[in-house]
Amino acid sequence: MISIGFDDSVKIGLQYVLETLHPCCPFGAERVRKLRFYAPDERELLETELKNTERAANAADALGPLYEKIMLVLCQLKDIRGSLRRLSEGAILDHVELFELKGFLLRVADLLPLFEKMQETAQANGIAFSDPSAALSVLDPEGTRSRGFYIPDGASEQLRAIRAEKKRLEQRLYEAPDAEKDTIKTERTRVCAEEETEEREIRKAMCTALLPHVPAMLNNADAAGRLDFLIQKALFAKKYGGVRPEITESALELQDMTNPELVDLLKAKGRAFVPVSIATDRGATVVTGANMGGKSVAMKTIALNALLFHAGFPVCAKAAKMPMLHCVRMLFDDAQSMQSGLSGFGSEIVRFNEALKEVEQGYSLFLIDELGRGTNPDEGAVIVQAVTRHLNALDAISILATHYDGVAEHARMHYQIIGLKDVDPDAIKAELSAAHEDGVAVIARHMNYGLYRVEGKADCPKDALNICRMLSMQPEILACIEEAYKE
Amino acid sequence: MQTALWKSIINTRTLSIVGMCKNAGKTTVLNRLLSESHGRVLGLTSIGRDGESTDVVTGTEKPGIFIPEGTLFATAKDMLSLCDVTQEIVYTTGIPTPLGEVVLVRARSAGSVQLAGPSITSQLKTVSDLFFSLGAEQAIIDGALGRKSLGARAIAEGVILCTGASYDRRMEKVVGDTANVFRVMNLKKAETVPEESDRPLAEILKASPEALIPGALTDAAVVPLLKSGALRNARLVVKDPSKVLLSPDTLDKLAIRNVTLETVEAAKVLCVTVNPVSAYGWTFDAEAFRNAMQAAVDVPVINVKEAAL
Repeated sequence: MISIGFDDSVKIGLQYVLETLHPCCPFGAERVRKLRFYAPDERELLETELKNTERAANAADALGPLYEKIMLVLCQLKDIRGSLRRLSEGAILDHVELFELKGFLLRVADLLPLFEKMQETAQANGIAFSDPSAALSVLDPEGTRSRGFYIPDGASEQLRAIRAEKKRLEQRLYEAPDAEKDTIKTERTRVCAEEETEEREIRKAMCTALLPHVPAMLNNADAAGRLDFLIQKALFAKKYGGVRPEITESALELQDMTNPELVDLLKAKGRAFVPVSIATDRGATVVTGANMGGKSVAMKTIALNALLFHAGFPVCAKAAKMPMLHCVRMLFDDAQSMQSGLSGFGSEIVRFNEALKEVEQGYSLFLIDELGRGTNPDEGAVIVQAVTRHLNALDAISILATHYDGVAEHARMHYQIIGLKDVDPDAIKAELSAAHEDGVAVIARHMNYGLYRVEGKADCPKDALNICRMLSMQPEILACIEEAYKE
Repeated sequence: MQTALWKSIINTRTLSIVGMCKNAGKTTVLNRLLSESHGRVLGLTSIGRDGESTDVVTGTEKPGIFIPEGTLFATAKDMLSLCDVTQEIVYTTGIPTPLGEVVLVRARSAGSVQLAGPSITSQLKTVSDLFFSLGAEQAIIDGALGRKSLGARAIAEGVILCTGASYDRRMEKVVGDTANVFRVMNLKKAETVPEESDRPLAEILKASPEALIPGALTDAAVVPLLKSGALRNARLVVKDPSKVLLSPDTLDKLAIRNVTLETVEAAKVLCVTVNPVSAYGWTFDAEAFRNAMQAAVDVPVINVKEAAL
């Protein structure tokens, strides 16, 4: 089963995505808060949801004003499920609860024609509202359709008589001499008590009459939540360019994927996110590249999009193919686990063991960023090589980012960050000496964060050396490094 | 026929009723207003909880609030079972109180109500706006006791100040303190607000003849300056009248030294009501009390115990 902790959700930018949504009703907010990931045996449901979202997103321009109207009605829905539960348990609801129920039903009635109109263009399969009119006629027997809730005099003959008597006494209270007022007041108190008793009987009868409509009302609450969520996802797709992935048996392909949080962050700095593409399948895939190159960003973006897909969201990419996964596990740099008392490396291995156990339960996505970074490079490389060999044989898509040598040949596939591969170091050096800005910022600007597939035996990326050169490390040291490379 | 009470408030859309003490006759005034509303739709709420049938402090029997048919009122949900009007629920505000959410109700019959409205100024504003959108012509806020109610000026345009014998056994004390509160509540609205400054008042006044007092204005701050003469002809502006914590004596001295006291938030006391009967057993001479009070303020003074107000 897919689940994700809050920390990981923040780290990969899923939390950011959820915070860009503005669900209007409590039922929609709940869907966002308790995000549901579809399991492999729910493929049809997921497909329906994805297609619904795709249609709703495609129609977002044409139906913009209609969506606004729907959202306006959804905003007025209150959570009546507590009252419905009490109703099912045989409680007699009070005036305010009945008012809220009536308000809910009135708003569902407002919603129906709008939803039907939406269905003409953007068919939302599996979302169906129940007709609220039968329940409404219980709470609004005179059909006034007024927003307020009031038990009308005509609810029972007895109530009519009691209220007439109450009114008569009030009139007398104004007119009678002071001496008689106390007697009238006592009489009035008795009549008020009778009114309360009779109203209670009527409320009881209303509750009994409402009881058969409870499932329909719960269904309407659920449908409102799904509609709310659907519109929010459609607006999200419109804003961040989501696409409906094709569901595959095992292959995972993401073409030009993006990460909304980083897109917005970079946009605010006047820069642009470089879309990342990857195509992989069962077995281990190794991602290598220089520091600063964005390996972690690529990993997080893959995780984010895999999770969005399983939650029925469009995927932030130009095109996507995705398998349904048993689980998505990430092993990213985690400061929190350091606090548990284990060393960085120790806690990493503990978490790796846990994650592996879960990954072995079914076809999964396993993302590991820089395993063994905390240990000495010789041992680290050996460990990562062994892990890669093991994962390559596992029924899962495993993606490992590493800067250790000799790992890629144990994997099925090897990707490398483009980095500074196509950049002329001398050109950057010239730019650096001309502009008096931070050298790291200049390099970052020239860094290509995209991935390319390495076929055959990989040559070791020389970006680290390039960076040293660009940042004008002392020539003596540079000469030493170059010498060492040749050996 | 319009009574003196109604005449004084008829042109004010939102008003609050503020008492000098318990048993000052607040509820009596409110009931008078309600019974003489002649079909005007009123919206009624309170600052926090009020309207209990027995005064929990003094144990005296308190009059309940009796509203005519058609009145809108806002109260906490748990209070509704204590209201004997026929209720139409018209709005749920989402404003929480210890006694449940504040609910807006239209009275479909006359009857008594128990009020427990919001206690935060901004929420009171929300409620009175709702009253008007639901068709009320006037909103009345049953204020709380003492100083806190001075803040009611932020939401109400007009104030009815209620005072009575229960405040003190000495009539001069009741009249004097009421006049003092009246004077503070009716501070002139500042046309220009001086710049806020962290420097001590004495220093500000050396540079400029006016100052904005960011916090409370106390005798401890003012008296030394009065003695040194630094305040002569100065203009002091407070945020709202509840920030003025000066004794009547100091207020008088400020007036003599030609010091102007102004406020940023301004409402108006529309009338003062007096209750000559104390809940603690003594009674003032009604006419003497009214006259003494009238001599101290320049708005109508009304005896709540008189048959026609």
